[in-house]
Amino acid sequence: MLAFLARRLGASVVLLFVTSFVTFMLLSLANQDVGRQLLGINASPEAVAAKNASLGLDRPLLVQYADWLVRAAQGDFGRSWFSSEYVTVAIGNRLPVTLSLVIGVTVLTAVVGYLLGVWAGVRRGGIDRFVQVFSVAGYALPGFLVTIVIVIVFAVQLRWFPAIGYIPITQSVGGWLSTITLPVIALSISAIAGIAQQVRSSVIEVARADYIRTLATRGLPRRLILFRHVLRNASAPALTVLGMQFVGLLGGAVIVEQIFGLPGIGAMTIQYTTRGDVPVIMGLVMLSAVGVVIINLLVDLGIGWLLPKARIS
Amino acid sequence: MKKRILGTIAAGVAAALLLTGCAGGDEAAPAHDDTLRIGTMSVPTSLDPIDAIGGTMPFFQAVYDTLILRAPDGSYEPMLATEWAYDDTQTELWLTLRDDVAFDDGTAFDADAAKANLDRFRDGGGPNAAYLAGAEVAVLDATHLTITLPEADPGLLFYLTDSAGLMANPARFATEDALVTTPDGTGPYVLDTSATAIGTTWAYDRRDGYWGDDPDFSTLTISVFDNENAIVNGLKTGQLDSALLQTADQQLAAEQDPALTLQDVLFDFQGVLLFDRGGYVTPALADPRVRQALNFAVDRETMLSVVRDGRGEVTSQVWGVDTQGYDAALDDHYAYDPERAAALLAEAGLADGFELTLPRLTSIVTDNIATALQTDLAAVGITLTWADVDAGTALKQIFVDREFSGMVMNMGQSSSDWIAYSTLIAPGTFNFFGTSDETVQRIAGEVRALPEDQTADLYRELNAHIVEDAWFLPFYRMTYKLVTVPGIDVVTQAGQAETSIYNYSLAD
Amino acid sequence: MSQQAVIPTEEADAVGAAQTKAPGILRAIASRPLALAAAIVLLLIVVAVVLAPVIAPFGPNDAIPRNAFQGPQPGHWLGFDTAGRDVLSRLLHGGQNTLGGAVIALLVALAIGVPSGLLAGYYGGWFDSASNWVTNFVMSLPAMIVLLASRAVLGPTVWVLMVVLGFLVAPSFFRLVRGAVAAVRNELYVDAARVAGLPDWRIIGRHVLTVVRAPVIIQIALVAGIAIGLQAGLEFIGIGSGNIPTWGAMLNEAFTSFNRAPLLLVWPGLALGLTSAALVLLAAGIRDALDDRGAEVRGQTARERRDLVDERRRERGGTPADGRGALLSIRGLRVAYRQPSGPDVEVVHGVDLDVEPGQIVGLVGESGSGKSQTAFSVLGIIPEGGYIAGGSVLIKGAELVDAGRARAAAGRRALGYVPQEPMSNLDPSFTIGAQLTEPLRFGRRMSRAQARARILELLAAVEIADPERVFASYPHEISGGMAQRVLIAGALSTDPELIIADEPTTALDVTVQAEVLGILRRLRDERGVGVLIVTHNLGVVADLCDRVAVMSDGRVVERGDVSQVLTAPAEDYTKRLIGAVPDETIVRAPWREPALSGKENS
Repeated sequence: MLAFLARRLGASVVLLFVTSFVTFMLLSLANQDVGRQLLGINASPEAVAAKNASLGLDRPLLVQYADWLVRAAQGDFGRSWFSSEYVTVAIGNRLPVTLSLVIGVTVLTAVVGYLLGVWAGVRRGGIDRFVQVFSVAGYALPGFLVTIVIVIVFAVQLRWFPAIGYIPITQSVGGWLSTITLPVIALSISAIAGIAQQVRSSVIEVARADYIRTLATRGLPRRLILFRHVLRNASAPALTVLGMQFVGLLGGAVIVEQIFGLPGIGAMTIQYTTRGDVPVIMGLVMLSAVGVVIINLLVDLGIGWLLPKARIS
Repeated sequence: MKKRILGTIAAGVAAALLLTGCAGGDEAAPAHDDTLRIGTMSVPTSLDPIDAIGGTMPFFQAVYDTLILRAPDGSYEPMLATEWAYDDTQTELWLTLRDDVAFDDGTAFDADAAKANLDRFRDGGGPNAAYLAGAEVAVLDATHLTITLPEADPGLLFYLTDSAGLMANPARFATEDALVTTPDGTGPYVLDTSATAIGTTWAYDRRDGYWGDDPDFSTLTISVFDNENAIVNGLKTGQLDSALLQTADQQLAAEQDPALTLQDVLFDFQGVLLFDRGGYVTPALADPRVRQALNFAVDRETMLSVVRDGRGEVTSQVWGVDTQGYDAALDDHYAYDPERAAALLAEAGLADGFELTLPRLTSIVTDNIATALQTDLAAVGITLTWADVDAGTALKQIFVDREFSGMVMNMGQSSSDWIAYSTLIAPGTFNFFGTSDETVQRIAGEVRALPEDQTADLYRELNAHIVEDAWFLPFYRMTYKLVTVPGIDVVTQAGQAETSIYNYSLAD
Repeated sequence: MSQQAVIPTEEADAVGAAQTKAPGILRAIASRPLALAAAIVLLLIVVAVVLAPVIAPFGPNDAIPRNAFQGPQPGHWLGFDTAGRDVLSRLLHGGQNTLGGAVIALLVALAIGVPSGLLAGYYGGWFDSASNWVTNFVMSLPAMIVLLASRAVLGPTVWVLMVVLGFLVAPSFFRLVRGAVAAVRNELYVDAARVAGLPDWRIIGRHVLTVVRAPVIIQIALVAGIAIGLQAGLEFIGIGSGNIPTWGAMLNEAFTSFNRAPLLLVWPGLALGLTSAALVLLAAGIRDALDDRGAEVRGQTARERRDLVDERRRERGGTPADGRGALLSIRGLRVAYRQPSGPDVEVVHGVDLDVEPGQIVGLVGESGSGKSQTAFSVLGIIPEGGYIAGGSVLIKGAELVDAGRARAAAGRRALGYVPQEPMSNLDPSFTIGAQLTEPLRFGRRMSRAQARARILELLAAVEIADPERVFASYPHEISGGMAQRVLIAGALSTDPELIIADEPTTALDVTVQAEVLGILRRLRDERGVGVLIVTHNLGVVADLCDRVAVMSDGRVVERGDVSQVLTAPAEDYTKRLIGAVPDETIVRAPWREPALSGKENS
C-alpha cells in the first residue's frame, strides 16, 4: 500500500510539473498585452512598457516560468495582476463556494442517482422507463435553460430561495443551505441522469451474473443478495463516473455561477483567463491538477475496496 | 422499500424547506433598513486612487473624498476644497482647502497632503494619469495650493471631481501597494475588510466622526456581477437595492416588477468612431462626403427600435444633452436617406462603393447591430466586413497596431464640453491618427483661454462642424435605467452612468 | 499504474458481448422502436442540415432589420430573430456549423485516440505506459482554461474550440480502445492469427478492430452530444463564434432577448435537445442490443399470471399421486420463455423425473435438450423471461409449483446447487469465507464463530488442503479446481438432502474431475445425500450414477437403471448417444517418461 501511494505521489508530482509548464507556455503564447489592459487605452506606450516590466513580462519565458515554479514550490503564488489580491487568498475565498456546489452535487447525485438506478435496475417496468426518459432529458436539455427556469420559478416567483448570492456556512448554516440549494439542484439534474443510467445498467448486468444465481439457491433473502452482493459489484463503474463528474465540476460550474451570482471558481476562471491574468490562472491550474490527482486516488482506492480483484497488492 | 424511500425524500424536502424558510425570511427583508446594497457590472482593479477610472468611482467615493464635488446636475460644489479660482490666463488654479479634516491615524489633510496625492497621481502611471500631465503643484500654506498647467485645460476642474481629485493618506504612500486593498481616506465610509471579498463584494461601514453630512446608511455594499440577469433577479427578490441596467431586455424585465422604480439615465451613446479620417487604412474615408454618406446610409430609427427596443434617442452628434455645445436640431442632421448617401458616394467617385472592415467585439457589437450595419451599408454599395477580435488582444490590435479604420463603441458623453473635445476630437487615444483641421484647432485654442461661462457659442460651433464634417457615425444615445427598490431614493448624476453614492438616501 | 489494472465493467462487458456474435449494429437499431425512432430523427436532422444551402429559404445572414422580433408568418415559418434574419434558415445553416463542429471534434478525438489505443493495448510496453501517462496528463488539465487560452492563441472561432475539444476528449477514446484491446490481446483467436503468420497490422486492423468497433460507436454518439452541448454552453458565457451561425449562438442570442421574445429560445433549444436526445437514445439502443441487456422482454400482465396459475393447477389436478419419488419428483414439467415479440417458446415439454433419498440420478442430453432448464426449474432460478408453464415438482412430498414464495423457499431448503463454471459462480468482491458463511448467519442465525467453524469443517470435507487460507482468500486467488470444491462446500452448507449439480466437472481438468466425482460419491455414502447430476458426459454417468434419464429436445426419451440403459438402451436416440462416445481403442503406445539429458529443459 505504501509503495503504491509513494509511486502515486511521485507520478503526481511529475504530472503537476508538466501541467504547469504546458499551461504556462500556452498562456504566454496568448500574448494578451496585460500592461495595456491594466492601464487602459489612455496610457502611453512607455507607461504600458513600464507596467509590463514591473510584472516581469519582459524576461524570457523560461526565466519567468522558473521564477514562478520556485516560488510556487514554496507556496507563494504571487498576486493577481488585475486585482492585486494574493492568488492563494483569491482562490481561497472562492473555493468554498465551488466546493459547496461540487460536494453538494456529488452527494445529491450519489444518493438520488444511485437510488433511482437501483430501483430501475431491480424493478424494471414503469420506474425503469421513467429513469430512461429522465436520463435522456437530463442529457438533452441545455443546462442553462433548465437553470434559468429554476431561478425564475423557485426564486423570483415563489421566493422560496434567494435568486443570487452566497452565504458562507460559517456565517449561517440555514443561509448557506438556502443559497446553494437551487444551484445544486440545477447542476444535479444531468449528473443524476448519468449516474442513474450507469447504475441501472450495472445492476441489471450484475443481477444476471452466475454467482448471483448461485447465491439465490442458498436460501438467502432477495433483499440481502441485492444490497450486499449486487450493489457492491455494480458500484464500481458508477464510482468512476462520479469521480469524473466531480473533476468536471471542479473546473467550475460557470453557467450556474453566473446565473446565480455565485462568486466561485468557474466565474473566476472565465474572468481571469480572458484577461490573461497568469498568476491567478496558474493557481487555478494547480488547484485543478491537485484536485484531479486526489479524486483519481480516491476513486482508485474506492474501486479497490469494492473489487478485490482490482487491488494493487 | 418504495414507501420508505418516498417518505425519506419527503422528509428531506420538508426539512430543507423549513431551513430555507428560516433563512429566506432574512433575505427577503425590504431595504427600509439602513443598509444600501448596490449591484454593478464594473469592477475596480484596486482601491488605490492612482488606479481609479470614472466607471468605478462609486467604489472610491465611499472611502475617499475628492477635492471638488460634482453635484447631480453637473455643477461644482465644495468638498475638501472650499474655494477655487483660475487666474486670467486660465493656466493657474488656486485652491483653498478645509482645515478640519484628518485621516484615521491622525495625519492632517492639508495642502502638503493634497500635493502629495496630486503628484503621485500624475506620476503614478495609472490609466488617468494624463489628466494631470505636466501639472505643477505648489503649496502656499496649510490650506492653500496652486496647480499650474503648461497650457489651459478646461477639464481640470472636472478631473478634480473625478479620479484625480481623490485624496488618500500620504502616510501610506511609502508602503508599496498599501492602498490597493486597504484604502485610507477621509470619505463617509470605511472599508470593512472582513466582509469584503475582492472581486465579488465590497462592504463599507459608515465612518464615525465624518467631517461632512453623515450618509443615511450605516452599511454600504457594492456587489459585482458579470451579467445583468442576476442583478435584476437580485432586485426583484430584494437582495439588491439599486443598480444601473444597460441592456434593453433586462430593463424590460425590471419594468415587469411594479415594486421597482426606474429612472432614465442618458450617458452613453453608441456609434462608430471613425478614427481613420485621414484615410490611412481605408483611403475612401478621407473624403468627408464618404463619411457623410455613411451617416445617411444608416437607418437609426430602425436600429434603435430593434437593438434597444426604442430605449434611447436617435442622434447624429457626439455632444451630450448636458453640455453647452448640444443642439437638439443636430440630432436629426443625418436623417435616414440612402439615396442621398448613394449620391454622395458617386460624387466622391465611389459609385461602386468600397470595402470597410471593422473590429467586432462581441461584448459590444451584438448580432443585430452587426447585421443592421451590414445591411444598411450594403444597400448603398459599401461592403462591411466584421473582423472577430478576442477581448484580450482587441485593445492592442485597435489602438496600438491600428489595424482598423474605426470601431463601434459605447462612449460616455461627459457633461463637460472640454472633456468631450479632448476625449474624442483632440489628438489622443481616440484620435490616434491625430487627424484635425483648422476649424477645430482654432476653436480649441480659443476655448482653452476662456472661462467656462463664455464658451457656449464656441462649443456649439465646434459641435456643428464636427457633425457636418462627419467625424463620427453616431447611432443613438442609449437610455439606461437606474433602478431602486421601495424605500430608497436616488437622483441621477449628469455626465455619469452609475450615480454617485452621495445621491442615495432613505425614503421618508 | 492502477488504471491498467482496472478494466471498467463497460469495456470488458462490451468486449464480451461483441465476441458472442451479437447482431449487426444496423439490425440492432432496427429491432428496437426507440433506437429506430432516434436514428430516424437524427438522420432527418443531418439530412436537413446538410441540404441547408438547398432547402433553406434564405441565407443565414440575410437580414431585414425592420422585421426583427416578428413572429411566424407565411414564408418565415419560425419568424425572425433579433437581427431580422429568418429563424428557419439560420437553424438549418447553423446546424451545419454545430454538427460540423461536433464532427471535427470527434474526428480529432478518434484520429488520436483509436490508433494509439490499438497500439497501446496490443503491444503494451513503453508505448502503453507513455500513453497512459499522457492520458492522465490531459485529463488533469482544466478544460475551460485550455479552451480559453487556445482561443486567445489560435483565434476566436468555433472550429478552434472544437479541435481543442477533440484533443481533450481523445483520452476517453484511448482508454476505451486500449481496455478493449488489452482484454482480447491474449485471446486464443489472436494467438491463432499470430501463429498463422498474419502481420500485426492485419491482426489489429481486422480482428482486434472489430471488437472495438461497437464500444467506440457508442462513445461517438455520447461524445457528439457532449460536444454539441458544450458548444452551446460556451456561447452562453460569451466564448463564441462571432459571425458563424450555430445553434449555441442562436440560443445565446435568444437568451439575451428573453424578455422581449421568449419564443426565440424554443427553436434552437428544440434543435439541440432533439439532437442530443436522439444521440443518447441511439447510443443506449446500440449498447443494449449488443449486450442483450434490457432486451425488452415483455412482462407478464396480471391476467396472464392468473390464467397461468389456473391452468397449472388444473393440470396438476389430473396428475396421479402414486409412484412419485420420495426426495424429488417431477411430473409433466413444462418450461417456456417469453419472447420480445410473438408467442412464448416452450423449451421443456413435459418431463417426468424421480430421485429417491440417497440416490444418484444422472440427467443426460446434448446441449439444448432442456436438462439445465429442468434443473433450474427445481432450484427456482430460471433465467429472466422464463417460467414454469405446467407440471408438478415435489420435494419431499411438498409441491413447489404455485406454492407461494415462503412455502416454495422452505421446500427448497432441502436443495443444494453445484454450478458448472466455478470461477464465475463466486462473488469476486467477497472472501470465500464471507460468502459461504452468509447463509448460515442470516438463514440459520448462527454466530460468526459458529458459522466459521462449520464452513472450515465443510472445506475440509471437500478435501481442501488448507481450509483456513482458502477461507480468507478471494475467488481470484484460488484455482479452478479449488473453486469447484468451494462451491460444493457452499452447496453443503445448508445441509441439503438433494444436491443438484449442473455439469460440475465440465470446466475442470481430468484429474480434478475424478476427485470432484469422488466427493459427490462420498457425500452420498457418508451423509445419505441424494444427487441429481446434469451432464452430457456418459462417462460420468457410468462412473457415478445409479439411475439415468436421457433427454432430447425437451423430453425424457428413456429412463432407468444405469447399468441397463447404458448397456442395453431401448431407444434409438440413446443408442446413437452411446454410439457417439469415442471408444477405448488405443491409438498409440502408452506414454513413457523421456530420458532426461544433462541440460535444463525449457
